[in-house]
Amino acid sequence: MIEGAKWRRWVFFYVPVTAFVVGLLFPFYWMIITTIRPDRELYRPWSAPNYAPFWTTHPTLEHIRNLLTETLFSTWMLNTMFISLAATAISLFCGLLAGYALSRLKFPYAGLIGTAIFITYLVPQTLLFIPLADIIRNFKLGDSPWALILTYPTFLIPFCTWLLMGYFKSIPKELEECARIDGAPRWKAMVYIIFPVAIPGILSAGIFAFTLSWNEFIYALVFLSSPEQKTVPVGVTSELVRGDVFFWGELMAGALLGSIPVAFVYSFFVEYYVSGITGSVKG
Amino acid sequence: MRRIHRRKLLKLSGASTLAAGSGLAGILASGQAPAFAQGTTLQWLKFVDFVPVSDQLLKGKIKDECKKALGIDLSIETINGDGIQARISAAIQSRSGPDIMMAASNWGQLYAENLVDVSDIAEEVGKAQGGYFQTSRDIAYDGKRWIAMPFTILGVLFANRTSWFADVGVTPGKFPGTWDDYRAIGKQMKSKNHPYGQTLAHAFGDGPAFWYPYLWSWGGKEVEADGKTVALNSKGTVESVKFAVAFWKECFDDGGMSWDDAGNNRAFLANTISSTSNGASIYLLAKAKADTYLTESGKPLKDDIFHAPLPKGPAGQFSYHVPFSNLVPTYGKNQKAAKDFLRWFHTKDIYGEWFTSQQGFSTGTTRMWEDDPVWKVDPIMAPFRTAAESGHFAGYAGPAGRAAAEAISKFIIVDMYTKAVQGMPAEEAVKWAHAELVKIYA
Repeated sequence: MIEGAKWRRWVFFYVPVTAFVVGLLFPFYWMIITTIRPDRELYRPWSAPNYAPFWTTHPTLEHIRNLLTETLFSTWMLNTMFISLAATAISLFCGLLAGYALSRLKFPYAGLIGTAIFITYLVPQTLLFIPLADIIRNFKLGDSPWALILTYPTFLIPFCTWLLMGYFKSIPKELEECARIDGAPRWKAMVYIIFPVAIPGILSAGIFAFTLSWNEFIYALVFLSSPEQKTVPVGVTSELVRGDVFFWGELMAGALLGSIPVAFVYSFFVEYYVSGITGSVKG
Repeated sequence: MRRIHRRKLLKLSGASTLAAGSGLAGILASGQAPAFAQGTTLQWLKFVDFVPVSDQLLKGKIKDECKKALGIDLSIETINGDGIQARISAAIQSRSGPDIMMAASNWGQLYAENLVDVSDIAEEVGKAQGGYFQTSRDIAYDGKRWIAMPFTILGVLFANRTSWFADVGVTPGKFPGTWDDYRAIGKQMKSKNHPYGQTLAHAFGDGPAFWYPYLWSWGGKEVEADGKTVALNSKGTVESVKFAVAFWKECFDDGGMSWDDAGNNRAFLANTISSTSNGASIYLLAKAKADTYLTESGKPLKDDIFHAPLPKGPAGQFSYHVPFSNLVPTYGKNQKAAKDFLRWFHTKDIYGEWFTSQQGFSTGTTRMWEDDPVWKVDPIMAPFRTAAESGHFAGYAGPAGRAAAEAISKFIIVDMYTKAVQGMPAEEAVKWAHAELVKIYA
């Protein structure tokens, strides 16, 4: 908290925080207001008399109803949930083992390998989707959730590994060494001592991985073709953008409902998440 | 069990081969679905249609009729237009994917060596239906063969506000015929807070559909007819750019600098702009939701819209419409079935059903469709009937080949005007665009 005169608190704390919060929450507010605003209001000009762009006096659930009844939105939600959870689980498992090995085990070129893993994360998906399409075809995985469950880890594992490497490095070695002195083998020290301490980091990596999977677009667009196999980002844009006409009410309803699981995950684990990102384990 | 002798077997197989090879007439004459197609499933990837009923027709009635007539199970996947090119690229590169893919503009030219020759069907349909419009030929014929089957042309005209134009003395029958006249009216419109609206951003349909014909009407062109000699840096092009800078300042809504293809629709439907180059989607949406889209006085917007062609420039009147074609990739295992389906789909009866469902949003690829009764249903849509006749495509006066496809996908012509409007001297903007084209056509 800012100390000193009252105006200092206002100028250096309350006003900036308020501006920050409003700026962050405004997109959500806009999604909500667009979702419940009738089409007639959505397309009124700003110059129209009594035009109120930031609220509505005639709220409607029409757009949500259209989204749920005229598209396969609920199926897309289930698909997205399954794919995101599975890809996150695989990536976390691999990231945990790789992150631990690279940060704790002494072997030649560990640092170089760690950097190389991170660099693979930087290769853009717009370059990777073509060679990956070849692999998906060879394994006959096209148009199935497994096409995404197995391709998402290509960018999630490097990310999780890198994040967890950093977190493991912040955990004092002495904790593990004590366990080793007491006779615990390496894997027991890892599983029973280090992993529990690393829970915030693991959750942070998991949340990030889940969010990246949930929002992924290009692989889902290319590898899935049946309407009933699609994920939320692809399904919503496929059905609700027709030529040069965007169905804004339904699109915002889709964005709003689609963001709820992610918002839920973040809010549920927010404390772990913050400490995971800041690496709060002290030696 | 009844025995079949060798001679009879040969006769039967010969007859079925003949039936399969002689097109739809042969198939129908044989009275049964061709043997090759029994149980065949064809995957067709296409744009999600602006007119929902057209997709419903394809996925319902036409799919069923296809099964009966050809024995083919048609599986249609519709996705947003922005995602199609990624799907086509991935499919061609990995050599797996849909049997038929709908492409916009001249995208087919980018994948020509990976596409099945459909000359037999295209020539057959063109001959039977009054000949193709130049735009259809430009995008689907590579000079030697038809690499794609022309599917439809989305007509592009000006959508205009009737009452606002009437306020400045312009009636639908007397729409400005030259750029000078259109600019003079636009100046009055903007002073009344009813500017024109046009995109100067990277909108894949609306950007080229306005700025290419605008360029041509001033005598400017990307290349000479040989398709090799870049000819952009000309007096006509420089004049067009100078005119555009003042034109923009005097007449247009500045928001157009950032509009995607939906931007002008949104602005028009919100009563913000008075005139914009677009497909019929603005009018058709206003018509479909007459209670939603209203004028500032609360009347249905649909009753306050008329369409008109782009005005003439010093070099004449031009137009650019957005063509679509269907590609049959060489990786497909059902190439023959795909071609048979396309031949069947483009028969007058079947295509006619789909064409009617479009309500004029599509102008058809051949001249025969100009005589279709659909044009008599709604007089507001009537100007689209002959819209495609003056159409040319990117790369004009040369062919709409791979280089033209690359130039359009990099928005070089649109960016030339954008740079000038943003302050670059006209001569410099033209030089920049010319140099970019030289890199592509070299």
